[in-house]
Amino acid sequence: MQTQSIQPDLSFIRNVMQSGGDTVKRCYQCATCSVVCPLSTDESPFPRKEMLWTQWGLAGKVAGDVDVWLCHQCGDCTTYCPRDARPGDVLSAIRLNAIRYYAEPKFLADMFSSPMGVIGAVFLGIILVLAVAGVWAALVSHHAFPFPEETPIEFHNFMSVIPIDVLFLSTVVFVLYVLYNGVKNFWMDISAGANLPKSYSGTYPVPPIGTLVTGYIIPAVQEIIAHSRFKKCGQTADRATGHLYLVLSFIILFIVTNFVFIAEDLFHAALHIIGPVTPMPQWHPVKLAANIGGIMLIVGVFMIKGVRDRLTEKGTLKSSDQDWILIWLIFAVGATGLGSEIFRLTQVKQLAYPVYILHLACVWVLFLSLPFSKFGHLVYRSTAYVFEKWAADVKSGKAGFGLEKSVGSEH
Amino acid sequence: MSNSILVIGGGFSGLTAAVEAAEMGYQVYLVEKENYMGGRVAQLNKYFPKLCPPTCGLEINFKRVKTNPNITFYSNATVDAVAGSEGNYDVQITVKPKFTTPQCTAACKGKDVATTEVPNEFNFGLDTRKPVYMPHPMSFPYQCVIDPSVVNTDEGKKIQEALPAGHVDFTQTEEKINLNVGAVIVATGWKPYDATKMDRLQYGKFPNIVTNMMIERMASPSGPSEGKIYRPSDKNPPKTVGFVQCAGSRDKDHLPYCSYICCLATLKQITYLREQSPDTEIVVFYIDIRSPGMKYENFYKKVKADPKVTFIKGKVADVKEGSNGNVVLIAEDTIGGGKVEKEVELAVLATGMQPEGALSPITGIEYDTDGFVVPKAGIIPCGCSKRPVDVVSSAQSSTAAALKAAQVINRRAN
Repeated sequence: MQTQSIQPDLSFIRNVMQSGGDTVKRCYQCATCSVVCPLSTDESPFPRKEMLWTQWGLAGKVAGDVDVWLCHQCGDCTTYCPRDARPGDVLSAIRLNAIRYYAEPKFLADMFSSPMGVIGAVFLGIILVLAVAGVWAALVSHHAFPFPEETPIEFHNFMSVIPIDVLFLSTVVFVLYVLYNGVKNFWMDISAGANLPKSYSGTYPVPPIGTLVTGYIIPAVQEIIAHSRFKKCGQTADRATGHLYLVLSFIILFIVTNFVFIAEDLFHAALHIIGPVTPMPQWHPVKLAANIGGIMLIVGVFMIKGVRDRLTEKGTLKSSDQDWILIWLIFAVGATGLGSEIFRLTQVKQLAYPVYILHLACVWVLFLSLPFSKFGHLVYRSTAYVFEKWAADVKSGKAGFGLEKSVGSEH
Repeated sequence: MSNSILVIGGGFSGLTAAVEAAEMGYQVYLVEKENYMGGRVAQLNKYFPKLCPPTCGLEINFKRVKTNPNITFYSNATVDAVAGSEGNYDVQITVKPKFTTPQCTAACKGKDVATTEVPNEFNFGLDTRKPVYMPHPMSFPYQCVIDPSVVNTDEGKKIQEALPAGHVDFTQTEEKINLNVGAVIVATGWKPYDATKMDRLQYGKFPNIVTNMMIERMASPSGPSEGKIYRPSDKNPPKTVGFVQCAGSRDKDHLPYCSYICCLATLKQITYLREQSPDTEIVVFYIDIRSPGMKYENFYKKVKADPKVTFIKGKVADVKEGSNGNVVLIAEDTIGGGKVEKEVELAVLATGMQPEGALSPITGIEYDTDGFVVPKAGIIPCGCSKRPVDVVSSAQSSTAAALKAAQVINRRAN
């Protein structure tokens, strides 16, 4: 008989139990959950096995489990669980711990997982914005600080796009670096967890970048935007609509921000190729898109909040601190964004600048928290979608080790 | 103040407690809700693990009841209320009429003229019966019963005319009896849990899903098919049978406790099926097989060794309709891995025991949240009114209950 020894990671069990998975030990492995789950697959059903691995403290097993990320917390499992072990909530807690597991430095993950930590981070953001703007005003622009004299109100009088870029681009570089490491380690762990074949040198197959984008990322993104899995949820399919609003508004705001960055920050402020682009008139298509995105963001937040409140009351799902932190942070970004625009247009100087400062601080915190908070699901769940398709192809011999190239393409 | 003992329930536990107390010399009143004694055991085909028929234990007890002058028994009677304290209980009993006299032991001619057919509750509705009937061939008391619904109707009058004079008596009315007893033994037993409550198991929607107690009736020589296990849709013996364990048991939304007997009942019913047809394939879906003690464990091992029997560790949580009236059982195979779908010709839900206290509690008796009786000094539960148990344990707890009842009475006397 083969003997296997298990090293339970007690801190992993404790962390899952503290972040919303306190019911995990009630599970007695009947596997009702795996059968009633509308998203689990026939070959690798979940969440029954994840419940056992968590009870036993098998942190490595859970880390290498892509299925955790294919769960959308529908709550069907929780509704039918005969032991009230709430597998949907446990998997949500496991995901929060996985994000922390792949994020470095850990103190940021700890900070962004507590409401006080996030409020502190917003204060830090306000101080940072004020400091950068103050230095810029004193040394470069010589505008009055913090309330520039000029009318009508234009926010670049407070702080030009150049110091904003210094602050935000450095944050973006840091966030991308943390995410790159996280996703790389995550990919290796799930490759091992999925038992993908290894090469002679012991490495797992990785798709070439072109194939990755066309063969896997684009189909995955299409699936994500369609929300097709989310909509399969039995108990909580309503959540998909609000989430879709948020996803679409993020995409719209990402595009308009990049348009403004290239036109204003790069071509105007940095290279002086064109004249000033901002502030844009309200009829400008980019401005219209930005306003629509901002409104969709706030509408989406309230749709999600409404459904979540109802489902929490009904007992279908629990909401952890991290769930609410993300919801309210996104709301704060949207509300301060629209607020600063309204106060700018109505020329209320005493409100326009403070709300704008708060907006910059909230955006900065949302950005910075991406690899460390629940917001990270954006990256890890998307990676899981990509990986699921990749792993299926590797296992069926259609991809990996150069197989993804069509036959004859090398000749 | 009284030296007598009331036993509520005339099933295996109640009969045992009554004869044990009576044979110690106490005056015993035995009250049974049905028209016959014997309870659930009377409905079984065989006991586990010895696989002998229930007549084994029941007939001896019936004889002890009949021959013991200390026992007064009422069938078709209910206890309405119990009031008082240790050593001194006032009890109200309602005895409902059977509309027959004790001579009426066949009623064949009455059945011939009766026109209505009603579902036969003794066989869980697998067949029908006439409104004049013998509850079952082993009934004790051996006396026919007429449904109140036909009393003084044209059909009732025809039945009365067809039977010998004096056998039918439509003038009978409900009788109230007040007793004073020193101790109350509660042996009210259990009902099979209502399988329609598990929405995912589709009982009642697909005809070829039955319960374990229905299998007992089918397998019984006195049952609806003279002992042949069949699937309801076409009455053919099934070639593949799937057992769904924990159908309602160990589930906070249904019965939060283990019903104790369903695993062994399934193992026993597998022996019926394997005996009936040597090529029957059987699959058992389970969370844990609970076979406590050496005898039960050996029984499990014996069934497990049968190559035609497959055990899959995983609870059935979804059921689909298959081809030709078949039933598809879906579970996760937690040992083999992956989801499994098994198409079977007949699916058997191993439904658990729900105590009568959860369904028809008696005023003056305290029950816990699941409906089991909370023991008091003079109110002594035994058998399945106390907790889910097998027949052996029921007999043991009933003997113990008789002893405790005697102690209650003697404590007061001293």
